[in-house]
Amino acid sequence: MSPPAKKLTYTNVTLEAIWYNNPIFRQILGICSTLAVTNLVLNTIVMCVALIVVTGLTSLTVSSLRNLTPRNIRMMVETLIMAFYVIIVDIALRAYWPEMSSNLGPFVGLIITNCILMGRSEAFAIVNRPLISMVDGVASGIGYSMVLLVIATAREIFGMGTFLGVPVPFFSGPYWDRWVIMVMPPGAFFMLAVAIWIFRSISTDTEEKSS
Amino acid sequence: MKDHAWFPIAYMFLITAIPTALLIGLAHYTQPRVDANAQIAFEKAVIMATLPATDPTLRGLALHKLFVERINTQTNAAAGAYRLMDGDAVKAYAIPFAGKGFWDAIKGVIAVAPDRTTVVGFYVYEQSETPGLGAEISQPWFRAQFQNKTLAAGDLPITFRRRGEPLGPHDVETVTGGTQTSVRLERLVNQACDQWRAAMPSGATP
Repeated sequence: MSPPAKKLTYTNVTLEAIWYNNPIFRQILGICSTLAVTNLVLNTIVMCVALIVVTGLTSLTVSSLRNLTPRNIRMMVETLIMAFYVIIVDIALRAYWPEMSSNLGPFVGLIITNCILMGRSEAFAIVNRPLISMVDGVASGIGYSMVLLVIATAREIFGMGTFLGVPVPFFSGPYWDRWVIMVMPPGAFFMLAVAIWIFRSISTDTEEKSS
Repeated sequence: MKDHAWFPIAYMFLITAIPTALLIGLAHYTQPRVDANAQIAFEKAVIMATLPATDPTLRGLALHKLFVERINTQTNAAAGAYRLMDGDAVKAYAIPFAGKGFWDAIKGVIAVAPDRTTVVGFYVYEQSETPGLGAEISQPWFRAQFQNKTLAAGDLPITFRRRGEPLGPHDVETVTGGTQTSVRLERLVNQACDQWRAAMPSGATP
């Protein structure tokens, strides 16, 4: 259950999206890309920036059009807006950073299906004013990035002995047997589970107080 | 106006048409850049395979200039290979290879000296193999192994061996944990070398 409604200030909205209602470890949204792009920290950073830009702009646009959009077709409109921004990011990467574009492969395009986007549009942007919706979108993206970076850092260090491609002392040395499973898809499941466990353990206290 | 039955249809139509038009414009505007990026990636592979000592951070115009200066792109005269020239003399043949890897296509270039046996260099410029495992085929340690190996006679010019097995003059070590990538890459490289050797006119170097 969500805590009693707080006043909609920028600070509250931001804290809510980053921590109390974090998309990954509270709402369990958008975990498909969490599993897919977290084996190299650099790829994860680019993915996170792309997602923050897209959630922010999508929420802003959905909110700006909210009084005009007929209710029965609103989800089609929301999807279309997301697709529009995602394709812009995809084209920009392909033209100006081709190496990263080929690293991320189809996953940039798959931001369209990232549940956080639809989640924030439906839960927040469609009923709130544009600017605060954009803050909510950006903060949700940051909340997502925070967990993703933790997972990616652990996977890259344990699995490859490097961080951002730079060898890490000990983990890149002869005494550390690289955990191959960490760079394979199952490694993402294990890390995601561990991350959700840890974050939820930290945040249970605050949840109990607020209810 | 919002209550009319046609409004949702007209609204959806408009909201589709405007972003689509913008995206088409943007895609059209960046297309030359995207094509140039693909071309540069290939040119880099040819350069890095034939001149392995080249600075690996070379990119863009500087790389393209080097390619234009040194590489003969008349591939018909050399059975599909690009030739590294020094004046009129051929210094190396760059044989492109491409095919299916484990996840997606692998594309690369293997370069052979004018004796048609000694390997000059090897470079993969497109692959989507598993990072840390199959994707190691793009790493410097992997491609450096090919230098000064010789192509064996017969239909297996280069053999990929597991880590720990003794390496002969025609052997390279595979990437650990990337068995499918290794098997497929080995096949691609060998097919390309075989085809090139069969198609290359014997005798004087063209």
